Amino acid sequence: MVNGSKISRRNFMQQSAIMAAAFSAGGTLAPRRAWAARETELNILCWEGYNSAQVLDPFRSSTGATVKAESLTNDPTMINRLRAGETNIWDLINVNNPWARKVMHPEGLIKPLDRARFEPYFETMMPDFKPPYQWAMDDSGTELLGMAQRFGPYSFVVNTDKISRATAEDQGWNLWNDPANAGKYGILESDDWNVFGICCIAGFDPFKMHDDAEVAKFTEAAKRVFGGAKLVGDIATMNQAIISGEIDFHLTGGTYSASPARADGHPEIRGITPNSGPMAGGKGGIAWIEITSQVNNPQLSPLAEQFLEYVQSPEMAHTVAFAEGTFNPVSQMGNPECFKLFTPEELDTIQWDSLGEEMARSVEYDIVPDYDKLLDIMTAAKRDA
Amino acid sequence: MRKFLHLSQGGRSALPVLLFLLCGFLAPLVAVVWFSFMPARTFSLAAAPSLDNYVTIFQSTSYVSFLWSLALASVTVLVLAVLCYPVAYGLVRVFGKWATLLTLLFTIPLFVSENIRIYGWVLFLIKNGVLLGSLKSMFGVELESILFTRTAILLGMVYVYLPFMLFPLTLGISMVPNETRDAARDLGATRWQVFREIELPLSMPGFTIGFLLTFVLAVGAITEAKVMGGQRIIPVAQDIEIAFTYAQNWPLGAALSVLLMLVVGGLVLAALWRFDLDRFLGRK
Repeated sequence: MVNGSKISRRNFMQQSAIMAAAFSAGGTLAPRRAWAARETELNILCWEGYNSAQVLDPFRSSTGATVKAESLTNDPTMINRLRAGETNIWDLINVNNPWARKVMHPEGLIKPLDRARFEPYFETMMPDFKPPYQWAMDDSGTELLGMAQRFGPYSFVVNTDKISRATAEDQGWNLWNDPANAGKYGILESDDWNVFGICCIAGFDPFKMHDDAEVAKFTEAAKRVFGGAKLVGDIATMNQAIISGEIDFHLTGGTYSASPARADGHPEIRGITPNSGPMAGGKGGIAWIEITSQVNNPQLSPLAEQFLEYVQSPEMAHTVAFAEGTFNPVSQMGNPECFKLFTPEELDTIQWDSLGEEMARSVEYDIVPDYDKLLDIMTAAKRDA
Repeated sequence: MRKFLHLSQGGRSALPVLLFLLCGFLAPLVAVVWFSFMPARTFSLAAAPSLDNYVTIFQSTSYVSFLWSLALASVTVLVLAVLCYPVAYGLVRVFGKWATLLTLLFTIPLFVSENIRIYGWVLFLIKNGVLLGSLKSMFGVELESILFTRTAILLGMVYVYLPFMLFPLTLGISMVPNETRDAARDLGATRWQVFREIELPLSMPGFTIGFLLTFVLAVGAITEAKVMGGQRIIPVAQDIEIAFTYAQNWPLGAALSVLLMLVVGGLVLAALWRFDLDRFLGRK
């Protein structure tokens, strides 16, 4: 077929020259083309749920945009992606509360939102999120760094057929200090949260610098906790194990991790927030709040802010709460229009009956100043168990 | 330059592919190696290089993960060799027209994600699951599950990597000419002598490829230990994953990766040094 075509040595050379010219001009033409393309393109780096078809498809249909969302299962990995230079890929990043204000904004990885445009949405959220909501703001309290949506208490999970809710709440983290419980529990593979949990089991607040005595206690607790674990696994494995009776309880966990089992007809699987503990104010629970921020992308998609507004609507907030994977409360449940969309079964799945008191018994997830050191100790304990 | 001009037309045509391979394959490897010399918990390649990450690894208990990975991969290879040889022999010499169907049955699982197959095993083995739940309801027998043990990890690895040993072995056994076997038998060799002196040496290319393929894949295995083993063992691949994710320590993860590449590469090269594949495959 080549012989039958019009290609000759001469016009091949001409076409090659045109191609070469186009490539060499690429340096100046590409950004403009890319900028134009970004008007119909949105890339989201997020926890699972925002990447589901239920959330993304209506937005795709209404805007005609190409929306891509990648889900990861821990905050440090997502932050790393931006640090590694992916700020020119992503438009929105959805991570837990301390990262926007304490890490991403100081490192120039995200850019503030239009406060006048977004702050009114906080007015309709649950009372704890009233503006200026601390985790959505920068340190000075002037810049709005993101929007709050999903949240939940997250300490540990028990099978209440084996350990009553009252016993679990009273014993709290000491469940892991009772030698009789060895072999009866699992550990969720959320290593960053396990650092918090083991600090609490060792009897001190995770969210501060730790002295040598506390580090020694942490080392001993990590060895003991991993040594006594029946298994370490992901949420699916942990729920299977606790439903089947392989284990009676697991570290760490809460509404988020227990909700798939509860939705599947196992109300006995329940996230527990201890009545008391070693954290500020004698609190024993830890809670997370997701904040979605705009990435400091040099060619940020104009759809980024539009998407953030889109997920504030009552219908879409409800969809986000019950998107595939895990099920969680959302701040927009403070809006009666949103709250009425939740069925009694859905409210039971997210432990609505105790949500208020559990959040009141919890401190909010924060950065651990000596996380690196504690994680290394915990990883060694896990390896040697 | 003179050499370039003297390259054959084919050689010059291959240059774009060569450049592509250099950029797409070699450059990331060089980046990983260079990262391993960067200070811990940095994300830049521009700092002064040092051996600190390697010192950290040798001062830690990372060797435990290395040893577990190498041991599990070795045992997997041995178990698979013993399991697969009779099956491969049957596929080539015994099963006749059923061999195609059986080969298909061994191949079909490869079209299903490894994670899904492993989770299937979890449902099968878990307490009150398919196996133990059925035994309990049908016979009233209540047994302990082997799930979340080292045995379960080995079971998962043997299951996942079986086709990677079976098919090269089948190829190797099919390379043994019937005439040679018949000649040996005619000359009075016993069944064992035929196996030891004819079939085994002549099917060695299949063994070698199967060993290498299975070992290299198994030494980097992570899912079986995570899902079926409940992380009773932390293989080195998981150590690397933790370093790159939760620990945010890319240089340490890179150093662990380089060491893994060196160990596995060394073992593979040693095997290839001993077994000349070109000679086996008749190219010499």
